[in-house]
Amino acid sequence: MIQIEQLSKTYQTKHGTVKGVDDVTLEVKTGEIFGIVGYSGAGKSSLIRCINLLERPTSGIVKVGGQDLTKLRGDGLRKARLKIGMIFQHFYLISQKTVAENISFALRAAGTPSKNIGPRVDELLEMVGLSDKRNVYPAQLSGGQKQRVGIARALANEPAVLLCDEATSALDPNTTLSILRLLKDINRKLNITIVLITHEMNVVKEICDRMAVMQGGRVIEDGRVYDIFADPKTALTKEFISSVVSFNVPEEILEKCDGTIVKVLFKGEVAGDGIISDMLQSYPVKGNFLHGAIEYIQELPLGIFVMELKGGQADVSQAIHYLEQREAIVEVMEHGN
Amino acid sequence: MGIEWGRIIELWPEIQVAFYQTLIMIGISLGVALVIGLPLGILLFITDRGLFWENRPVNSVIGFVVNIVRSIPFIILLVALIPLTQLITGTTIGPVAASVSLSVAAIPFFARIVETALRDIDKGVIEAAIAVGATPWMIIKDVLLPEAKASLIQGITLTVISLIAYSAMAGVVGGGGIGDLAIRFGYYRYDNTIMIVTVVILIVLVQLIQQAGDFTAKKLDKR
Repeated sequence: MIQIEQLSKTYQTKHGTVKGVDDVTLEVKTGEIFGIVGYSGAGKSSLIRCINLLERPTSGIVKVGGQDLTKLRGDGLRKARLKIGMIFQHFYLISQKTVAENISFALRAAGTPSKNIGPRVDELLEMVGLSDKRNVYPAQLSGGQKQRVGIARALANEPAVLLCDEATSALDPNTTLSILRLLKDINRKLNITIVLITHEMNVVKEICDRMAVMQGGRVIEDGRVYDIFADPKTALTKEFISSVVSFNVPEEILEKCDGTIVKVLFKGEVAGDGIISDMLQSYPVKGNFLHGAIEYIQELPLGIFVMELKGGQADVSQAIHYLEQREAIVEVMEHGN
Repeated sequence: MGIEWGRIIELWPEIQVAFYQTLIMIGISLGVALVIGLPLGILLFITDRGLFWENRPVNSVIGFVVNIVRSIPFIILLVALIPLTQLITGTTIGPVAASVSLSVAAIPFFARIVETALRDIDKGVIEAAIAVGATPWMIIKDVLLPEAKASLIQGITLTVISLIAYSAMAGVVGGGGIGDLAIRFGYYRYDNTIMIVTVVILIVLVQLIQQAGDFTAKKLDKR
């Protein structure tokens, strides 16, 4: 649905040129929710704004639905934008217009006949659960409600793509969750492709199918969210993951352990297969759990355990080998004495 | 400097005429300022850097002309525009004639006020409208003007009050008006009564306009 090819965006500042986005190539498939994670200044905001050409890329190509947007200008670009919805961190509703007027603004932009506007606004308000707020001004709404209006406005012209620019970053955790559920719901019902950028890893964990991690304007890692959670390659990705799935065992505890400390990771169905107990029965090794949980990412279980293995060196390494054979990922954090 | 009540009654017809002349001058020049200054202010804003009609040459030219007119002292503008006034109104005397210079002064004044009011709008709201696929005209009509409504009304208030002050100078070219009355009788003839009466009328007028402006701006603002 979206192809980004060798996209770069440079900015001229007093201190010379700054690369906002540096040679990014990405593909977002139809119907998926794609998350772009990074700290502020990583270039994710520039990148998402290049997708609907709110910012014109310095070089590279952006294709949405097969159409190269960088070739468009003026009215052609305006028409293409009708099919790309966008929501923002600070909502950006017209404060002097009611909820219904804000939504009908988008419909009028597409030249919707006026007799169809009223019913369509009602339909959209129903979808985002704000039917009772039709004639209220944005100032009277909560943050979550404002974002729902933003979503209704973005979806007004039945876009193929929805861009979310830090859409939940100004909301409290509960509201964030309800907005994420709404986005997921919309994604499933309308088969709309969603690209979201965020600095909150839990957002990605909650709803994204695939993700990319950005740093210094570049994409440093991308793939299925589950795979990246299971096996992050870069230090930054690990850092992001540890913000939602943390398995740090306190130092004092580690010091008291004299066995081999291992971190064992089970992917998918194997997570519940009792592999650990099989191992403990098959080898003369004692196991001691220090930390552990099964996380569900995209409804797939991901088991992560930190344990201390005690026994003869050869037995311990055989036990580890056994775990690896059963498709667990084992990382030895500290060797025993 | 006592007030002679008899003098007020004596000159009351003249005061009424002057008041009426002031209203004509302000009415005409405000009307012109709105009709020409508002689009000019919008143009100044939307042709600026990073906005949806970015056009440096147009922006610079308009900005330059606006600055020139604004830097000329009004009293000089009043005299300098006598030929133009003659051309447009066929006369150089009276409130309608004085309205030409007042309008010329009010247009750039109001245009800058409009531009400043539009600048205060959150850029994100404009961007959201662009992202939705709105036409430039829709953005002006449904985003810029409504969002700046309250500050535009405050700006109109400011313009009217400045015009009242400017119109006092219109007497120089025989424009008439309350301010002219104050100068002719109060200043040149040391007629304290008329001086005080006219000043009181001006104070009341300015107060009323300011309050009406504040009230309307507040009433219309939905934030």
